[in-house]
Amino acid sequence: MGQAIECHFWDPAIRFDHEVSFTSEDIGGGITLRKPVFTVEILEKIIERIKQARQEYLRTHDILEVLDAIDTVNALWRNPTYHGRKTARDVLPTVTGFSIEMIELWGFNYFFDILKKDNLPLTGKQQPNNFKEFARCGDGLVKAYGKPHISHSNYEPEVIGHICAGNILGLAAFEMVMDKLVDAATWVKVPSEEPVFGALYAKSIEEVDPLLAHTIAVLPFNSDNTMVQEYLFSKSDLIRATGGERARKNLTELAERHRVPLAGHWHKFSFITIAREFLDAQAREIAELATLDVCAWDQQGCFSPQEIYVETGGRVSPKEFARLLAEEMETTSRALPKGTNSGKIQVLDGYYQYFTKETMGEPVKIFPSKTHQWLVIYEERNMNLEPSPLFRVIRVKPVSDIMEIPKRVTPLGSFLQTVGVAIPTDRLIPFADAMGQAGATNIRTISGMTLQKAWEPWDGRFPLHELFEHDGIHWVSIDTEDMDAEIKSALQRKRSIVDQRLEFKRK
Amino acid sequence: MSIVRFPSDEWIKIFKEELNKSTAYQEVAKDWEGDFLFVITPDEELKIETMFYIDLWHGKCRDAYLVKGEKQAKFVFKGPYSNWKKVIRKELDPIRGLIRGMFTVDGDSRVILDQAKAAQELVNTASKIPVVF
Repeated sequence: MGQAIECHFWDPAIRFDHEVSFTSEDIGGGITLRKPVFTVEILEKIIERIKQARQEYLRTHDILEVLDAIDTVNALWRNPTYHGRKTARDVLPTVTGFSIEMIELWGFNYFFDILKKDNLPLTGKQQPNNFKEFARCGDGLVKAYGKPHISHSNYEPEVIGHICAGNILGLAAFEMVMDKLVDAATWVKVPSEEPVFGALYAKSIEEVDPLLAHTIAVLPFNSDNTMVQEYLFSKSDLIRATGGERARKNLTELAERHRVPLAGHWHKFSFITIAREFLDAQAREIAELATLDVCAWDQQGCFSPQEIYVETGGRVSPKEFARLLAEEMETTSRALPKGTNSGKIQVLDGYYQYFTKETMGEPVKIFPSKTHQWLVIYEERNMNLEPSPLFRVIRVKPVSDIMEIPKRVTPLGSFLQTVGVAIPTDRLIPFADAMGQAGATNIRTISGMTLQKAWEPWDGRFPLHELFEHDGIHWVSIDTEDMDAEIKSALQRKRSIVDQRLEFKRK
Repeated sequence: MSIVRFPSDEWIKIFKEELNKSTAYQEVAKDWEGDFLFVITPDEELKIETMFYIDLWHGKCRDAYLVKGEKQAKFVFKGPYSNWKKVIRKELDPIRGLIRGMFTVDGDSRVILDQAKAAQELVNTASKIPVVF
């Protein structure tokens, strides 16, 4: 029998003057997605209700109660037998095209740790003067660049709206939690590519604390529905949006028209840098770790690497590293298979493009996957930064000194985001500093590029701070104070995911 | 209790006395160790930065005074005068104020956040002192 999934959430006690009608979309696998058809009258009642619930709950309850409720919800989701997680497991591979292994092992098992009470970023505002050089924050380091010119402040936002991109699972949950920390009511536009998880998460809050949940509305609508967007923007104190270039253009215009501050997170470019010190007996381990960054979310995230720069002068050459990477890509891809929607065409395109170059005698070497699950390309001469076709297609390029990289990527400026690194601590700070000046925002230990820590800034701004104040500070983080220890624990994590999964498959 | 001006040395001395009378504060702050500087930064109504020193130790206030000159403490809790007024009138929970960026803290903020109930009792005590702003 098929499964009908509701993609919306609001207080079920809301009474509308006219019955809400729904559309049903059969997405295959016996799954039907049900979405409401919005009118202004429906939206008015929903927004009034989340504002009222905010007054009744967030403005009267102790912050500790709110935090405890959020913690209880996340404990539910960390339990693999929780019914909401079971529904998500049944439905999300079909909805998103990601493999069940990716959703469960890389998604749920790590994502809900970010939202644990003890990990939540509860200091709303860091003071840039304390971070003129890289200084301790969370279990890593941050540095402030730029000047604290404040362009927007509202310390008591009543309604915050979120427009979530569909490339990464779980963003809607993160947004709901962040809003509750600043006592704001929330509406979330869930992405058309993944309209399911947001409503499931809101329902799990309702199971724990109905009034808290009723400060939230999950609204599935298409981004070309101008009536809905115009109305929601007119009723919001702030909008946080993630998306591509088209979304940036449209939403910026809309926000300007309604004079609502917009915290936008748009297209980014991320890559990996490996220093020669790690290209010795550790080279294979580093290749193992790099595979996770390439495979995670099938390279669809803004934090996914598009290129790998490998420093020359180590015992293992960049070309040899590319070969090791290919071997390890095969192993990791068996444990974390690519999803069903995930670009065989892109892999084949990459293959034929570079096959031509290779046969023409150019210094290119292709390391292909027989199953078109992935493609590693070693390219010796082309030092230009180029976007990858993604879907697990990765280029490896040699670099004679890692300090050449910041100069090379400077033209990308604010498009730079995450740099996955295996660099010894004594060389890491100058590299991170130069990358920060170039525009990058997050320096993360290799294999952790897609694993945002709760305390880290996001595109140069702290996610909580961004909800009440916008300023000219550009924050840059390094996710660890101890690179060797972080690599050791990353390797344990990788092996616990990949090796255990392969062992399970063998049985 | 007579009406006193906030901020003033008189106010912080009364605050110390009232805190030491509060059994509720003694109970919730019995594990607390650490001194504070409460820094009131100028805004439209207050022209000069004002700073209180307050030494809190296992549910008791050992010392409290208006600082003249330099002073160091384990924690520095800082915010504009208008936000301090909201706290004293019980219109703003200081922990929420910290989360929402209305106050900043120097020192391990997680330790303060773990003592949210003690912070609330500090506010309850402060709110009982009749003040003129």
